[in-house]
Amino acid sequence: MAYDRKKIEELIDGTIDWETLHRMLSQPKDPERFQLYVDILQERVHFPETILLPMGLHLYIVQKKDGSRVVKCDCGHEFCSADDNWKMYALIYVREDEESLNELYPKLMAPDPSWQVLREYYCPNCGTQLEVENVTPWYPILKDFEPDIEAFYQEWLGIPVPEPKK
Amino acid sequence: MTGKIQVLGIDAGGTMTDTFFVDTEGNFVVGKAQSTPQDESEGLIQSSADALMQWGLTVEEVFPQLITGVYSGTSMLNRVVQRKGLEVGLIVNRGMEDFHRMGRAIQSYLGYSYEDRIHLNTHRYDPPLVPRERTVGVTERIDMFGNIVIPLREEEAYAAIERLLAMHVEGIVISFLHAYKNPQHERRVRDLAQELITKKGLNIPVFASSDYYPVRKESHRTNTTILEAYAAEPSRKTLVRMNDRLKALGARFDLRVMASHGGTISWKAKELARTIVSGPIGGVIGTKNLGEELGYKNIAATDIGGTSFDMALIVQGQFTIQHDPDMARLVLSLPLVQMDSVGSGAGSYVRIDPYTRSIKIGPDSAGYRVGVCWEESGVDTVTVSDCHVVLGYINPDNFLGGQVKLNKERARQAIKEQLADPLGLTVEEAAAGVIELLDTRLRDHLRSMISGKGYHPSEFVCFSYGGAGPVHTYGYTEGLDFEDVVVPAWAAGFSAYGCAAAEFEYRYDKSLDINLDFAATTEAKMAAVSTLQEAWNELAEKVIAEFELNGYKAQDVVLVPGYRMMYRGQLNDIEIDSPIARATQSEDWDRLTEAFENTYERVYARSARSPELGYTVTGVIMRGFVTTVKPKIPNEPLQQENPPESAKRGQRALYYRAKWVDATIWDMDSLYPGNVIIGPSIVEAPATTLVLPPGWSAFLDKHRLFHLRHEKDLI
Repeated sequence: MAYDRKKIEELIDGTIDWETLHRMLSQPKDPERFQLYVDILQERVHFPETILLPMGLHLYIVQKKDGSRVVKCDCGHEFCSADDNWKMYALIYVREDEESLNELYPKLMAPDPSWQVLREYYCPNCGTQLEVENVTPWYPILKDFEPDIEAFYQEWLGIPVPEPKK
Repeated sequence: MTGKIQVLGIDAGGTMTDTFFVDTEGNFVVGKAQSTPQDESEGLIQSSADALMQWGLTVEEVFPQLITGVYSGTSMLNRVVQRKGLEVGLIVNRGMEDFHRMGRAIQSYLGYSYEDRIHLNTHRYDPPLVPRERTVGVTERIDMFGNIVIPLREEEAYAAIERLLAMHVEGIVISFLHAYKNPQHERRVRDLAQELITKKGLNIPVFASSDYYPVRKESHRTNTTILEAYAAEPSRKTLVRMNDRLKALGARFDLRVMASHGGTISWKAKELARTIVSGPIGGVIGTKNLGEELGYKNIAATDIGGTSFDMALIVQGQFTIQHDPDMARLVLSLPLVQMDSVGSGAGSYVRIDPYTRSIKIGPDSAGYRVGVCWEESGVDTVTVSDCHVVLGYINPDNFLGGQVKLNKERARQAIKEQLADPLGLTVEEAAAGVIELLDTRLRDHLRSMISGKGYHPSEFVCFSYGGAGPVHTYGYTEGLDFEDVVVPAWAAGFSAYGCAAAEFEYRYDKSLDINLDFAATTEAKMAAVSTLQEAWNELAEKVIAEFELNGYKAQDVVLVPGYRMMYRGQLNDIEIDSPIARATQSEDWDRLTEAFENTYERVYARSARSPELGYTVTGVIMRGFVTTVKPKIPNEPLQQENPPESAKRGQRALYYRAKWVDATIWDMDSLYPGNVIIGPSIVEAPATTLVLPPGWSAFLDKHRLFHLRHEKDLI
C-alpha cells in the first residue's frame, strides 16, 4: 500500500497526478504515511530540531534538544511551548473596516465589519501569514489544536515518542 | 460449418477485438485477437482469421459471402475520454458562454462509485470539450414557447464566425436556448457560417443543435452536438478505412455500427455520435434477441469482463431506454440502453485494508494485463484472476486458448505475501475468501437491481456471458431463485453476437409541449393529435432520408412511432410505443393516454396514477427498421445425457467450500446437445470457462445454451 516517496513529495507540493490522488482518497490509507511525510518535511526545514507534528503549511511542533516542545515557524522563529496557543505570540492584523476589507474583496462582496472581522496572524520574524480567523468582533482568539502526541505515537503509530536529543 | 457464412459481428474492445461469424444454418465461430487502436481494421482481420481458422477457412474466402457486418467499438469513447478530438468552435447565446465549461455542476461526479459520490474531495471536472477561448456568444433569445424575445444580431454572428475561423477551428457547433422549439436563429447562423466558409474556400463542417438533437436541456444537447464534431467526424474516417479494407477483401456489404439506442445505423449516418457506446449494448441486444427466439420475456443480462460487471434488465421483451444519460462524464441527449455497472471484474486488484483487515476488490483493474500470474504483465498486486488460477477455476495453460501462459506459482506466492500471511490464512482460504466476497457483491447488486425495479428474481431468467461471466455464474446466482440460469456456449463473443443480431434501425427524437386537461374538449384533443402527427411526419421524413442514404426505398422501411408522456407538472416522463400508427381523430388521444396510464401503472403502481392532473406530451420518437439477416440460433438434435468420453480433458483440483475436490475438465466444443454435466466439473473453451462446483449441474440444450441447476439436496 505504500506510496513512492516521490508521490508524497508531489502531494506536499500540490503537483501530484490525479490517478495517484484518487487512489489515495478512495483506497485504504497507507500506514507509513505519517513517517514518510514528516521525514520529507524534516529534510526541507533548516532547523536541527525534530519535527513531532506539522501544525500548518509553515508551522510545526518540534522537540528541542533539552526535551521541551515548542511551536516553530519554518523560518526558525519559536513562538511558545507546544501547550500554549502560538497565536498569542504572533503579530495580528485585524481587518475591521470597509477600507481594509475592500483590499481583499470587491465592494458588496466583503463582509460587514460590524458583523464579521478578519484576523490575520503573522510570524514576527519572516512575515509569513500562518492563519486567518473569520469571527465576530470581540470573539476570543481560538486555540485550534491540542494534540495528544504521546497517544498518537505510541498507540496509533506504535512507535516511541522521540527522545530528547543528547 | 455447413452453409454459407452470412453475418459478421465485431466488438473492438479496449483489450480484445472479438469477431462472430454465423452461417445460414446458424453455426457460428468466435474469434479473438489483441486490439490494434492505431488501425482497428488490423485487429479485425486478425480476429476474423482466428475465428475462420476453426472452420478451416480464410478471410478471402469468407468475406465475399457475407451479407452484413456490424461494428461496435470503443474508439470514439476513448477519443472523448482522452480528449483527443477535433478543435471545435462553439457559438452560444451571448452572456451564456460559460455554461458548457461549468458542466452543470453534475459533471464533477458523473460515473462515480457510491463511495466517491459522497467523498467530496474526489469530485473533479474534466477539461471542457470546447475551451472558453473557442466559445463565442451571439445576441439572440427565444423563449420556451418559441417566441423571439430578442432578434438575432446578424453582425454579431458574422463576427463570431470570423473569430472562430481566424482560430482555425476544425468544426463549428451552434447551440441556442430553446432552438428545439424554434430553430430559426440557429439555422440562420448555420447558413451564415457555411456561406463564409465557402467564401474563404475552407472545408469546415457546421453543426446546428436543432438539426441533430432538437431536444430540451441545453447542456445535454450542446455536449451531444459537440461530440458530433469532436469525436464522430474522426471516427467516420476510421469507419471509412475499415469499410474500404473489408471491400478490398471482397466484402460486398456496407458496414453498420451499433448505436446506443440498441439498433444499428450505417457508418454514413448523419448522427454518428449515437454510436459512442456500443460494445456492452451488443450483449443486451443479444440477450433480448435470444430471449425472443426462446420465448423468455423477463431476462437479467449479466456480463463479467476484465474490469466490470454489467447488468441490464429486459422486462416484457423490452430493455429500458434512458433519455438524458451520461457517458464519459458528459451529460448527453442520446437515448441509451439502460445498464448498471459495478467496478469488479476478473482483472480487479485485491488488497487488504491495513486498519480493518478487510479484503477490498477493485475498483481499478489490471485489464488486459491479467494479474501477477502472467509474468510479462509487470503487475505486482494480486488480482481476482490470480485467485482463479490458484483455486483451479481457470486453466493456466489454456488462457485465451493458450496464447497467454499463466504461472500458478507466481500467483500463489503473491497471494501468500499480500493476502494470506497478513490475514493469518492459508493461500487457498485467502483466495477463496476473495472469490466469495466477489460473488456476494455481484449477487447483492443483481438482487438489488431487480428488487429496486419492483420485481423478484424468480420472475427472471438470468443470462450469463462475457469472458469471465461463466466462471462466477454459480456464485452470483446462487440462492436468488432465478427461473433459469443460462450460459450461451458463445459467451465470450456474446456482445459481438448481439451486434450481429441487432436491427438496422434509425431513431429520431423531438421535444414537444402538448398540455391537456383530463376532461379536454374534442377540439383540444384534435389540436393535440394533429401537432403530434405533424411531429411524427417530420421525424419519419428524417428516418426515411437516412435509409435512402443507404439505398433503401421508403416502402421498405417499417416505422414505429412513440411518444413521451407525463402527468402535468411532473419533471420526468415515460417513453411509450404508440398503440396507433397514425393519430387523426380525437379518440386517438384517448388511446394514447390509456397506453400511458397502463405503462405508468406497471412502472410505478396502480395507486400512483393521477389522471386528474391532466397530461403532457413532452416528446415524440420515430423509429424505422428495414429487414436484415440475423444470426440464426443453432438448433441441433438432442443426444444422450452422458457426455462423450472424447470431450473429457482430464481432471483438475478445484477448491470449493474449504476443501479440494477433483473436477472433471470438459472441452466445451466437443459436448453434444442433450449432455448433462455434473459438478464438480469445469467446461473449457478457448476464451471462457464454465465452472460447476459440487451440487451444480448443467444441461446443454439444442441451442447450445447451458442451463445451470443447483441441487440443494446434494450438499
